[in-house]
Amino acid sequence: MKNARSLLPTVFLTPAMAILAVLALVPTVYAVFISFQDRELSRPDGRFIGLENYIALFSDRRFLNAIKVSLTWEILTVALTLVIAVGLGILLFECASAKMRNFLSLLFLMPVILPRVSAAFVWKFAFHPLYGIITYPYKAITGQPLDLLSNPFTALGTVALVDVWQWGLFFAVIVLKLLETLPPQPFEAARLDHAKTWEIYAYVALPMLKAPLISLAFVKMIESLRAFDLIYVMTRGGPGISTETLDMYAFSQGFIESGRISYASSMAVLMMIATSVAFTFIWKRAKI
Amino acid sequence: MSRRHMGRTVGQVILALAAFSAVFPVFWTTLNAFKNRVDIVTPTPLFFFTPTLDNFAYVLGRDSVFAGLVNSVLISGAAVLVGALLGLPAAYALARYPNRWTKDIQFFVLSLRFLPPVAVAIPLMVIWLNSGFYDTRLSMIVTYTLLTLATVIWLSVPAFARVPKEVEEAARVDGYGPFAVFFLIALPIASRSLIGAVAFAFVLVWNEFLIALMLTTSDAKTLPIVASELTQLGRDVPWGILNASVVLLSIPPLLFIGVLSGMLNSAFKRKSS
Repeated sequence: MKNARSLLPTVFLTPAMAILAVLALVPTVYAVFISFQDRELSRPDGRFIGLENYIALFSDRRFLNAIKVSLTWEILTVALTLVIAVGLGILLFECASAKMRNFLSLLFLMPVILPRVSAAFVWKFAFHPLYGIITYPYKAITGQPLDLLSNPFTALGTVALVDVWQWGLFFAVIVLKLLETLPPQPFEAARLDHAKTWEIYAYVALPMLKAPLISLAFVKMIESLRAFDLIYVMTRGGPGISTETLDMYAFSQGFIESGRISYASSMAVLMMIATSVAFTFIWKRAKI
Repeated sequence: MSRRHMGRTVGQVILALAAFSAVFPVFWTTLNAFKNRVDIVTPTPLFFFTPTLDNFAYVLGRDSVFAGLVNSVLISGAAVLVGALLGLPAAYALARYPNRWTKDIQFFVLSLRFLPPVAVAIPLMVIWLNSGFYDTRLSMIVTYTLLTLATVIWLSVPAFARVPKEVEEAARVDGYGPFAVFFLIALPIASRSLIGAVAFAFVLVWNEFLIALMLTTSDAKTLPIVASELTQLGRDVPWGILNASVVLLSIPPLLFIGVLSGMLNSAFKRKSS
């Protein structure tokens, strides 16, 4: 009996952990390994060139552009997602009956459950300059087609809209659930003090939810690093390189254009480091 | 009082608009999937038209789409199965038999969920190419197992932790061994949340795109890849067919929406009490 008790964790954990360790560590270590080489898809073996790939990255105009695009993308999507999530979350909590809340929560979950490829296509078609339903009013009024995805100034924002559509509505449901976990007393006390509704949220409710909201922001930051699916389907990094994010550029370097697998790998390693730093930070702050 | 009332009405209108924005794009795509091309390519969007099943018939009859569907079902199914078979016991051990590594293991498992896919896909592409398994279902299943296993463990630990300890103790007093307690007590009691965890893992790999794009070229292509290729077609775009394939791709994840929202509810209910 005692023996069996001490046996269970070993029997249950070892296979899963062994597989995870192999499946996770082999690729990540290998990614670092090939990033020190000059390997290309057409030539299977490369030689070691040390840090040359990393040094080359920082004088690569397209890489610097990709960092800029990725940073813009991060700021746009994280900020808009949180603003929409908090706004709609509060409205759900404040203006909807319990039944309505459940129903709306279900609807708000729909966009994020859709495959990213589907979401990207749905919106790409909606923004189609000739047949799109969103661009239709503009076309009807001005007589000119509106092509947001082919304009370098609006393309990134338009794709970001789809990301915010998926995540903002989803996080609104989470904000609602978080508000529901709060004790009612502080709300009542504030109301007795004649606080206005917005004051209750700005000074009482949201400060109480500071820690989980910051965690949500970090989760979204990491999630936003994978903009690839949306951008690949909607713009392919174009027009020009105006929507080419880091993962899109790594993909095109390693796969489409030149097959420079080592060079692409060095970018992936840098992204991995950025993600790990952000993730360790969340873990330390809030035990998810 | 009336100002508050007005605020409430404005809030409800905004919520209704948000709900509309969540549903309408999907509804519109579905509608377009039943349209003939002439009804889609109109200067004014059409809400009333003669529906046709041609698009779906064409999509399902096309070898590439059908092969993608079969690949997606087999690859996602097998990866989820392996993930559940290995992940559920591991999660139970983590929830019920904590030791000094438990926290580190949980950190490791969750960190995998956040690994940038491109950082996994590039080295794996080289590994699978070198070993001759590139573009096979087997290599995709193995790769996706990384995602499903990590996800199942991460979501099932809290589900097992919510099983009342007293029930397990009582079973132990009745002479159940530790393995019997897991299979006959913990597993059935936590089953609802566990199904949610497994469903989430399925949706995750069913929707996965980047890794599949880099690790397959023809034989093992999954449905998202096939659908995205249709969307990149040239000038004379078969819009109806495209919409139909997007609808087909989206149905399986949407079937799980109830299960997933139930999981979200139970996850937060416990925190409050």
